[in-house]
Amino acid sequence: MSDLGLPLQLGVWLPTDVDTDPAARALAAEHAGLDLVAVGGRVDLVQTGTDARDRQSAPEVGSPPGASRGELPSSAEQGAEVADGADGADDDWTVAAWVAARTATIRLLVAVDAQHRPATVTARAAAGLDHLAGGRVDLVLTGTDPAVLREAIAAVRGTWAAADPTPLHLDGVHHRADGARRGPAPAHTPVLGLSATGSAPAEVRTLGAQWADLWWSGTVDDATPLAEAARTAGREPAEVRIVRTVGSDATPEEVAALVLSGRASTILLDGDDPEWARTVAPRVRALVDAGRELAGTRVRQPRSAAVRTARRPGIDYDGIPAELVVDAVEPGDAAYATVRSGYMRGGSPGLVLRPADTAGVVTALAWARTQDVPLAVRSGGHGISGRSTNDGGIVLDVGRLNRIEVLDRASRRVRIGPGARWGEVAQALEPYGWAITSGDSGGVGVGGLATAGGIGFLVREHGLTLDHLRSVEIVLADGSVVHASETENTELFWGVRGAGANLGIVTGFEFVADPVTEVGFAQLVFDATDLESFLVDYGALVEAAPRDVTPFVLMGRPQGGRIYAQVMAMVDSTDPEVVIDRLQPFAQLAPLVQQQVQLLPYSAVVVAPDEQHQGEGEPVSRSGMIEHLTPGFARDAAALVRSGHTYFFQIRAAGGAVADVPAEATAYAHRSANFSVVAFGASRHRLDAVWDAMAGHFSGIYSSFETDRRPERLAEVFPGRTLERLRALKRRLDPEDVFRHNFSVAAGDD
Amino acid sequence: MTDYGHDLLFGTFLTPTAAAPERVVALAQQTEQAGLDLVTFQDHPYQPGFLDTWTLLSWVGAVTSTVRIAPNVANLPLRPPAVLARSAATLDRLTGGRVELGLGSGAFWDAIVAMGGPRRTAGQGVDALTEAVAVIRALWDTEQTARLDLPGAYYPVAGAKRGPAPAHPIGIWLGAYKPRMLRLTGTSGDGWLPSMGYLKSLDDLTEGNRRIDDAAQAAGRPVTAVRRLLNINGQLTSRAGDALLVGPPEQWVEQLAVLALQYGISGFVLAADDPTLIAAYGQEIAPAVRALVEAER
Repeated sequence: MSDLGLPLQLGVWLPTDVDTDPAARALAAEHAGLDLVAVGGRVDLVQTGTDARDRQSAPEVGSPPGASRGELPSSAEQGAEVADGADGADDDWTVAAWVAARTATIRLLVAVDAQHRPATVTARAAAGLDHLAGGRVDLVLTGTDPAVLREAIAAVRGTWAAADPTPLHLDGVHHRADGARRGPAPAHTPVLGLSATGSAPAEVRTLGAQWADLWWSGTVDDATPLAEAARTAGREPAEVRIVRTVGSDATPEEVAALVLSGRASTILLDGDDPEWARTVAPRVRALVDAGRELAGTRVRQPRSAAVRTARRPGIDYDGIPAELVVDAVEPGDAAYATVRSGYMRGGSPGLVLRPADTAGVVTALAWARTQDVPLAVRSGGHGISGRSTNDGGIVLDVGRLNRIEVLDRASRRVRIGPGARWGEVAQALEPYGWAITSGDSGGVGVGGLATAGGIGFLVREHGLTLDHLRSVEIVLADGSVVHASETENTELFWGVRGAGANLGIVTGFEFVADPVTEVGFAQLVFDATDLESFLVDYGALVEAAPRDVTPFVLMGRPQGGRIYAQVMAMVDSTDPEVVIDRLQPFAQLAPLVQQQVQLLPYSAVVVAPDEQHQGEGEPVSRSGMIEHLTPGFARDAAALVRSGHTYFFQIRAAGGAVADVPAEATAYAHRSANFSVVAFGASRHRLDAVWDAMAGHFSGIYSSFETDRRPERLAEVFPGRTLERLRALKRRLDPEDVFRHNFSVAAGDD
Repeated sequence: MTDYGHDLLFGTFLTPTAAAPERVVALAQQTEQAGLDLVTFQDHPYQPGFLDTWTLLSWVGAVTSTVRIAPNVANLPLRPPAVLARSAATLDRLTGGRVELGLGSGAFWDAIVAMGGPRRTAGQGVDALTEAVAVIRALWDTEQTARLDLPGAYYPVAGAKRGPAPAHPIGIWLGAYKPRMLRLTGTSGDGWLPSMGYLKSLDDLTEGNRRIDDAAQAAGRPVTAVRRLLNINGQLTSRAGDALLVGPPEQWVEQLAVLALQYGISGFVLAADDPTLIAAYGQEIAPAVRALVEAER
């Protein structure tokens, strides 16, 4: 056998016994940087009553065939007369779920007896745990009877096939289904493993070669027959990852040899040796890396024939860097449905790369640049204007860089990854009595918003989101990682705040939060059928209001000839009297149809939804920044709303503290506008026709809400000198215009 | 007029929505923070929109520290009792004794069969549940050292090793409505856990209590051996009314106290996926009911 080139995984086989505190061991493995823990697959010897722990001594590497130590136990051993799997030991699945809940990043390989539980239920339990654990759980079915295992595999795969609308029917003897509803699919590309020893290992191994993604091998070296059986079944041998256990007495050289000779790609330590992760594991990794370098072995994650068929042209899937390949999602993968689209935009990218840290972003960017397909960068995927998905290209998704860390309580400095969502930020800062103003949706990602503007519910009091930025760590087009702040790379820092999407991928933000605890939050619905005067009066009220109140107003299509305007207003005060006092003038604007006023934490207003993005098509929207809601604007706006050409017409307050910052201080150049206006329509053509005619009212465009791609929009997003400065930065930092997915300033720059 | 004198338990009955696992877990944690005693989840393994109940319970156990957890109620036809016994004991060991085991004979037989489970008549369901309770209790009983042999039509056990033993005596709470199930509850159950929505009137509680009491006494058990719990639904409104648990907190308190003092209910499990309701239930209603019942007792 030769090295299959699969990414190496090192882990620990946990004892299931609760008394050994498996969660603590798993956490230790996680902290030590191991890739996975395995749970299950250990069974007592029923006949003798021997405590399983007594015979879990480590196997020697290269034990002769038939050696019993360390082999996966067979259910035959526990005696066929035990019809129910009761063997006096703790339950593997319960322990696995517990361990998953107590860990954060380490993967879990959970071996479950295929005989004694309905396989459909096992499948659903595994998918559910995978969702709870954020895609860290892989399932291994264990058993000795090929017939049972064959049926269990079909039941699990069939249950996971959520995209198949037909009910599941399986005419099995041990595992049946008679019209079961399918789903859910696991959160990540499912890995279904198989393991067995005992009376019929060769037959079970053949099953593994045919159907499994992973083969948990005993001490018998069966890599060659496994590979042969896989080829016979029309699969690449590398499609079946081999897992083997080793004892703590195995030397790094012996373990590395298992990998480099293709006998295993996942190594599990069987035994309790806390030093193994620090001493042996790194040495094994180094030896494997060196061996592979010497042999010219390329590391890759093979996908099944079905997945390969769904691949898109122009992407060298086999060349995906090793550190990214495990979490990469391609069109044939089960997780694709959850990553393909954005909030309002449908997509069908050829590949989604999901790096876990800055180094991963650098690697992903460098590799993506070698691929001749479009590149999109995604944080929360909520963007309206930003193309955070595409068709046939690569999406570099920084969603896993989502840490929220308080750096200093006294100065309220926090470091936040671009992949965190604002609802999560609000929740994390609430215990400190802080908030960072963001937008009106908690589902928006930090990266996209903080590099464009951030017109949120505290904007009049505390300014834009990007006004809270103190420094960034950013990956530039050439792969260099630089910091930018008021003292370092100052011009870049200027540009990141408003045009970040043009300049690089921010991998870390340092913000200063504001003290915000509970706020007053009002939802007032008016009959604004007399819309012209409503808008003019509303605008005047907003401008005159104290800065602690920030209202947004929203209109939809007319209903039965009437126009309803919903005002959502935040008052940054915990005093009900102040809240009412601020809202009182607004309540007089027009007949109130509904009203609700609450005192609640900021985090209860800006909430991150649980749902995955399921956008379809392309959003149609137009943006305009405006200083005052003049009678002329109100007339045109009212005509637009009455026409029904917009189903969502929103005017956000965007003044107050925003104007305290000089226009040239950041690349966000609309400091004089008191309002940001956005209209969403169903028809590009109709909305554009009306909006183009309204252009005279506006002083510019807020990039995040504009989806018109005609070139003249660029100078409205980045007017005059701002555009000149950005172009100079662009020429210096991104001369090939790698970052062109959101109002590229390189356009028209000859 | 019945009051078995058990200490009162208040809990939530949360929807295990698969699409929003974080929210479900957060509601469970909120149940604990609100000072409630119990988090429970329905168990419908044939429903792909729900998280697997046992998996979710295990997860919730790992991220809470004081609240008790229970399936409400576990679906026996799709949960083999030996696996259930070991799972419950394991989770009880992991949580330091916070697990109770709600158990039911199953309903929705088409869906159970669709998942590969058996189809049982009501009578067979009771027989199977009777066997299952015996299997579970026997496997938990590690005082006995002999291997377990239990002949049976549904869950025969031959030569099984007993254990693990739970960290505390796990209560088996049966979801029972019909006479034979109520009898089984009296003879073998530690708790009775019906749902208010399935009762025709509160008289069903009186009638159920009577049957359970009779069966318990016939089996030589004290009637207090069986705790009486109730899954309840309600709505907090500002205006008081006649309907059960539709009104302001004070009305809830009165009505729950009546259920405790006159109908013997000592566990109130509220179907609530609303944080506001959970907070009010834990912080206002439950303490007031406790105080009122204590005063009356």
